[in-house]
Amino acid sequence: MNNRDLRAFLILLKREMWESKNLFIAAPVVLTILLVVAIFWVIPQLPEGALAEAISQLGAATEGVGALNLAPFLMTVATPYMVILYICTLIYLVNALYQDRKDSSILFWQSMPVSNLYTVLSKVVTVCFVAPLFVVAAISVLFLFVIITATVLGLSYDVELASLGQLFLASVYSLLLVYMTAVLAALWLFPTAGWFLLFSAFAKNLPFLWAIGAFVLLLLLEDIIFGTQFLGNWLESRTSNYNYIIFEASDFFQRLFSYDMLFGIMLGAILITGAVYMRRFAE
Amino acid sequence: MSEIVGANSLVKYYGNFKALDDVNFSINAGAITGLIGPNGAGKTTTLKALLGLCEFEGELLVVGRDPRIDRHKLMEDVCFIADVGILPKWMKVSQTLNYVEAVHPKFDRKKAEKFLSGTQIPNDKKVKALSKGMVAQLHLALVMAIDVKLLVLDEPTLGLDIIYRKEFYDRLLNEYYDGDCTVIISTHQVEEIEALLTQLIFINNGKIVLDTQMDNLSEQFVEVIVDGNKIEEAKQLSPIYSREVIGKKIFIYEGQTREKLAHLGEIHTPGVSDLFVAIMKQNGYKEEASGDE
Repeated sequence: MNNRDLRAFLILLKREMWESKNLFIAAPVVLTILLVVAIFWVIPQLPEGALAEAISQLGAATEGVGALNLAPFLMTVATPYMVILYICTLIYLVNALYQDRKDSSILFWQSMPVSNLYTVLSKVVTVCFVAPLFVVAAISVLFLFVIITATVLGLSYDVELASLGQLFLASVYSLLLVYMTAVLAALWLFPTAGWFLLFSAFAKNLPFLWAIGAFVLLLLLEDIIFGTQFLGNWLESRTSNYNYIIFEASDFFQRLFSYDMLFGIMLGAILITGAVYMRRFAE
Repeated sequence: MSEIVGANSLVKYYGNFKALDDVNFSINAGAITGLIGPNGAGKTTTLKALLGLCEFEGELLVVGRDPRIDRHKLMEDVCFIADVGILPKWMKVSQTLNYVEAVHPKFDRKKAEKFLSGTQIPNDKKVKALSKGMVAQLHLALVMAIDVKLLVLDEPTLGLDIIYRKEFYDRLLNEYYDGDCTVIISTHQVEEIEALLTQLIFINNGKIVLDTQMDNLSEQFVEVIVDGNKIEEAKQLSPIYSREVIGKKIFIYEGQTREKLAHLGEIHTPGVSDLFVAIMKQNGYKEEASGDE
């Protein structure tokens, strides 16, 4: 990849964000705003004692706990963000190679010296590496808010929470873990992403139903012809989150280079190659 | 002159429908070629083949490349405007400039901005907020700022009002065309581009039915407004087409010398639209097959 290619690829990533800013930027931002509003709404509702109790329990729980050990607890905050990210990513993948065919703007994209491979890769990189960045950014704003609020409350109740420095370190580390987890999750679910991209590039209409329908058909065919449930079991095994949630940065490579993970990435790559091929002729 | 497009025995099926039936033609550098045909004649299919947007049989070289291989490399030398309104609706005007600037090595942003400054198009508006005419202007501004060898226009002014249509072609000719690049225009609004063309290709039912240089048109075809008493004589010379305008009989002849026809009445070179109708009728074009897109 030379300089020009790199520049072109970066604008393709930007292009995805211009088009899908609601899914990848607005959604986590709105979630942060809702959570902040919820916190402000809940705190004054709590009975006087309960808040002091909660603060002191929190103080006790975090006392003497190092930043590295605190981080996994902070990661739980990411849960609603990950749910939103999954939903948005699914909507994005289904439309990624479909919408422009539907509104004919594919003719504009195809009139530019950009290969189909780059176009499809830009969507894959968006899902795997770019979208999680915005999740992490949104969570970091929430953390900042929570740390400040908790510290102020702690001071007002004369409870010493883990030191500010520790909390800050723990948040930064947990953000790194959240990002790594999101990337691993995307790679773990790579075959799913490839499957939806393939049907996004192929279906004349209703790409989501095509993707689901085709898979259900495969399940049925397997059951009828071979009497086995290999595909179903395999799909079920993919839902196990052990394979991508990590609580220590050093686990990243161990998860990444596992046999199951690499097999999934390979399978996804084959499906994505199919999507690139489908994209060749805009008919 | 070097050949920019060379098509040899192009065949394309859509299911059982033969959209291209042994299409052969050649376009030289510097030409402004009109690809004219009724709806469904194969114009768009031919252009899609040139641009690497569809599969087909036969040999085709566009700027020295087979468009079926590495379309993205071909697009460094070829630009196209297909129909109006293929610009992505969600994009802002400024984003279209940023995008093309980053992906196209031959795009001159200053040039595009200069073109745009002569229009009412606001930089921060999305394409969907622009009128149809503005979208066409924007697309033309983007394309005119790209220094390519071949520009392909497929019904570029369809659905625009006459002011935009005229302006579109005026700008194209005055500000873009410099004799170095080659332009292919497909349309069925023949009158609008008649004066621009250097080469004329008629297509019907997937076949090329006429391929001629505009300079040769006056030698190849003659239109005669026949004097009232010479109509029978005129019919004897086997005209390819006849029509009646305000009580006057008008005949079009192919391959007859002007000298031979001069005594029949007033002699002209036929207009492209009359010639189009003549050639289409000669090739068995049925009017009921037409319909506006």
